[in-house]
Amino acid sequence: MNIIELRGVEKQYHSKTALSGIDISVGERDSVTVFGPNGAGKTTLLKIISGLMQPTKGKAFYNNKAYSESDIKKEVFYLGHKTALYNALTVKENMDFTCRLFSLNHRGGSVEKTLREHGLWERRMDPVNELSQGMKKRLALAKGFITNPEVFILDEPFTGLDLGWRSSVLSKIKNIRKQGKSVIISTHLVEEGYALADRVAFLHKGKLLFIKKKEETEIGEIYGLFDSLGENIR
Amino acid sequence: MKFIHDAVSILRKDILLEIRGKESLSLMLFLSLLFLVIFNFALDIDKENVSLLASGILWVIFSFTGILGMGRTSMSERDEEAYLSVVFSPVSPESFYAGKVLSNLLFLLLMEAFTLIFFAILFDFEKIITLLPQLLPVLLLGTLGFALVGTLFSFLATASRYGEVLLPFLYLPVVVPVILGGVSSMDIILNGKPGGPGRWLQIMVVFDMLYLSLSLLLFRYIIED
Repeated sequence: MNIIELRGVEKQYHSKTALSGIDISVGERDSVTVFGPNGAGKTTLLKIISGLMQPTKGKAFYNNKAYSESDIKKEVFYLGHKTALYNALTVKENMDFTCRLFSLNHRGGSVEKTLREHGLWERRMDPVNELSQGMKKRLALAKGFITNPEVFILDEPFTGLDLGWRSSVLSKIKNIRKQGKSVIISTHLVEEGYALADRVAFLHKGKLLFIKKKEETEIGEIYGLFDSLGENIR
Repeated sequence: MKFIHDAVSILRKDILLEIRGKESLSLMLFLSLLFLVIFNFALDIDKENVSLLASGILWVIFSFTGILGMGRTSMSERDEEAYLSVVFSPVSPESFYAGKVLSNLLFLLLMEAFTLIFFAILFDFEKIITLLPQLLPVLLLGTLGFALVGTLFSFLATASRYGEVLLPFLYLPVVVPVILGGVSSMDIILNGKPGGPGRWLQIMVVFDMLYLSLSLLLFRYIIED
């Protein structure tokens, strides 16, 4: 069963078409990786999937209900290019605030457990602006874990991370997959995106060139597409 | 109940942010003090004319200092797109707005209390403190109007790179009725003018209700792209 479905979605910014003719669906326990060069429309697509942005044309459905009639924003976790953290608050205060928003008991040990799982418990009293980018990304993901959403939407989750932090964030996202959550990721990092995917999609100039099962797509095909578009991503 | 719980969670977070970051209230208090010192030197204020000039000076300080402070509270939401943690949660845009209004209202009232005390000290005008019970409805209605409009517009303006520069141009024309009401009512009370401030207070109530209903309708569109 599809959780999220986009039909004939188009997005225009003034006279520029950012997306056109997008049909994409995401099922339960599904993991879709959207590849594409810079400016392909990946962020716009993920913002529309998350309900943060309205399409100019076409329709979006969450559990077969139009977005406008659904609770999409309560059911998805969206991590954009920025981490959605309050920089002046400490790690723990950010987690406690998230718990309050979701009416979760932040004193019941769940915050401690989640922070320990993400290697952040020792830094719980530190303000977020003192953390490295990799730690901020892990804290942002930890917020997602504690709220237990149905769908994780992660826009370029590996951007700005060195190799060590990248593999750490990758393993956190693999954990999300193990928990049976649906995951939609956009990235131009082929190895990481491919490793996480059940299905892969490729977006170029606002159009989906393909969306296929991972078994039907060789990793070399994705590299080849990037190469043919003159994008050096290796 | 959930509406109140969510709004209070936002208020609590903003108080914590202020304690940690000292970006909004601290800025307002400093600016207010600076304005008072400038007015002290720029105007020839003495015991004879202080009650005539007080309401004008105070509302200029409240308006300009207030909008800068509210701009800062909105910037703390825009930094790192922190507001998205509220957008992607069960909290409704209306409770988010209510929480932001409450925190702006609290910070503005604290700034106004500070300004009144320093005004009384600097200009030797203790009458303004003794008349505080009569001034309270004027301050509350005026400040509520500021917070209702300022919360909406500061969130809108800070989405743009030049938002904090743009903000006073958006905000001040809209709050003119509240500023007029505040200045006139305070002037009537401080100078014991006949008729009382009743009519101006009614106007402020009407504008506050108008601001509230329009802002509640518009806020959800502002927090979406």
